[in-house]
Amino acid sequence: MKVTRENIIWESHQKHVPTIDDEGGKLWGCFRSCFLQSAAPYTEGVAYKILKNDLGIDLREAAGHTSCGAIGYHGDVTTIETQMVVAARNFAVAHEELGVDNLFSFCVTSFANYTEMIHLWEEEPELREYTAKILKETTGREFWIPRVSGNRPSVVHASDVFYANRHKLAQKAKYSLKGIKAVDHIGCHYGKIFPGEAMGGVEFPQVLVGLLEAFGAEIVDYPERRHCCGMGFRQCAFPENRDYTASSTYKKLASLKQAHPDCNLILTNCPGCTVFLDAEQGTIKEVLEEEFNVSVLDYAQLTGLMLGYDPFKDCGLNAKAVEVEPLLDKIGIPYDKSKTAEQRRRPF
Amino acid sequence: MTLFETVLGDSDNYFSIFNTAIIFIYMSKLVDELKQDIQYQHGMNACLNCGICTAVCPAAEVYDYSPREVMNICQTEDEEWLIDLLKSDKIWFCGQCYSCKPRCPRGNSTADVILALRRLSVRHGYFAESEKGRQQLFAKRVFGENMLKRGYTLTAENITPEHFPELGENWEYYFEHMKEMREWWDVPMDKENSAGSHRIIPEKDMDELRKIYKATGAMELMEAVEKGMEKKLGSKKEVEKFWDNWVETADSRNYEMKH
Repeated sequence: MKVTRENIIWESHQKHVPTIDDEGGKLWGCFRSCFLQSAAPYTEGVAYKILKNDLGIDLREAAGHTSCGAIGYHGDVTTIETQMVVAARNFAVAHEELGVDNLFSFCVTSFANYTEMIHLWEEEPELREYTAKILKETTGREFWIPRVSGNRPSVVHASDVFYANRHKLAQKAKYSLKGIKAVDHIGCHYGKIFPGEAMGGVEFPQVLVGLLEAFGAEIVDYPERRHCCGMGFRQCAFPENRDYTASSTYKKLASLKQAHPDCNLILTNCPGCTVFLDAEQGTIKEVLEEEFNVSVLDYAQLTGLMLGYDPFKDCGLNAKAVEVEPLLDKIGIPYDKSKTAEQRRRPF
Repeated sequence: MTLFETVLGDSDNYFSIFNTAIIFIYMSKLVDELKQDIQYQHGMNACLNCGICTAVCPAAEVYDYSPREVMNICQTEDEEWLIDLLKSDKIWFCGQCYSCKPRCPRGNSTADVILALRRLSVRHGYFAESEKGRQQLFAKRVFGENMLKRGYTLTAENITPEHFPELGENWEYYFEHMKEMREWWDVPMDKENSAGSHRIIPEKDMDELRKIYKATGAMELMEAVEKGMEKKLGSKKEVEKFWDNWVETADSRNYEMKH
């Protein structure tokens, strides 16, 4: 049997993310990612430009928004109670100070964390009361739960907003992925914790495949497609544990190359995968002398390239371990060839 | 002879009964404490020990780790096994990817059980008994203190070329030109009174965040890390040596444990 997504009833995992043509779809509040701000700030930069300039979205962010703290939660320095009240505070700030009802986060762990807290409030009324009480006592703010998808308590991820507007983005694209083989790598915290909150569920998520197909790419499948990149919080954060990260990346890429040696593009929606699936290819090259040469781009970087944003200055592809020029040549995206690879990457 | 010795016979016997009683009360409390954790309640229903979690687990592939074993130990509610688990490296091997969660036919979530176990291990100081557990000092001083100081779990300054050599020479170049590179990419950092990448969060908002951390037990959990490390290493000075070694060499194993 040919296993394609058509075989799978994934309609039950449909989210209802407002497009820019829907009511309220042009006003969004957003939460930044700790990891992207620290290790790949340009990805949020180009996402901002696309959402504001190309989709005309009024994107709002409060100076007083804090991190959701979930790296500390999965890194075992906070409690579930802390996560609930910090989430409630960020929601209250967005609603009271910015006047927004629709919220997305740039980080999949924030998305999962906010979703987890919303589920807890729904399932455990006493925790909802606790959160509202502590929020009031510590900040004076009022408890409010966003209802982004289908008017039920929920938030969404930035890649969901790109997916919802993918046909608009594809209409504006200057380049096409026709003839390019590509595959998605969905962040674990986008789909595995709450499969019902992932666009298309956890087995055949549509969020990135839909975007790739809108730009004309040919999607390939491989055995370890859903294996974790190995970011693993404490596993990547502490260098002595990072063989875990490199091993996971190796397992995935060896599997991809065995199935599709000519696939050189992985699309991601998680900050950790975006950084480590690329960076660990550098480690593997050095340690095992094996090269995979698979470019790992996030949904905003790829959309940016398609829309004609500069690969280096806007999309930040000068910080990648895997050289992006062969992929740019294959797609037909121009860049300054009078400069050397190093000059393109080091402007000062 | 003391009154207790009169009642309970010789002193050896008395101490053995007394210790057993203390250990029993203490360990019963541990199991109860674990079962009170809402995350444990949601993550542990009834495990049939099928092993699907272990089959899909990235950590099980590279470490001496089995989520199935963790679930089994918890389900037995055996106090001694639980303490051994809390003192071991095992609970720290999980990468928190939750690959186990959607696969479990019984709706369990080992990754959530792991979080409950780790907090229990920290609260009771058992984390300091294992090599991977002692890394909790770095988690506390990086993720935890960053939140309290800046409102982010990670900061740009954390991603050093020394600790992240795989990011390569272009990252070294970026790190030397951090401010200019971020402006070149159009994502300037550390701006005040504005939205934006890595902005300075206003002090009134930081105050609210710190109050939340205090009221919800995060501060207590972080303090337990410092205290547990001090107890294990012998003094605050040794804890600083352990930390300095990690910052300088990026490998906690270069610190020689005395016992």
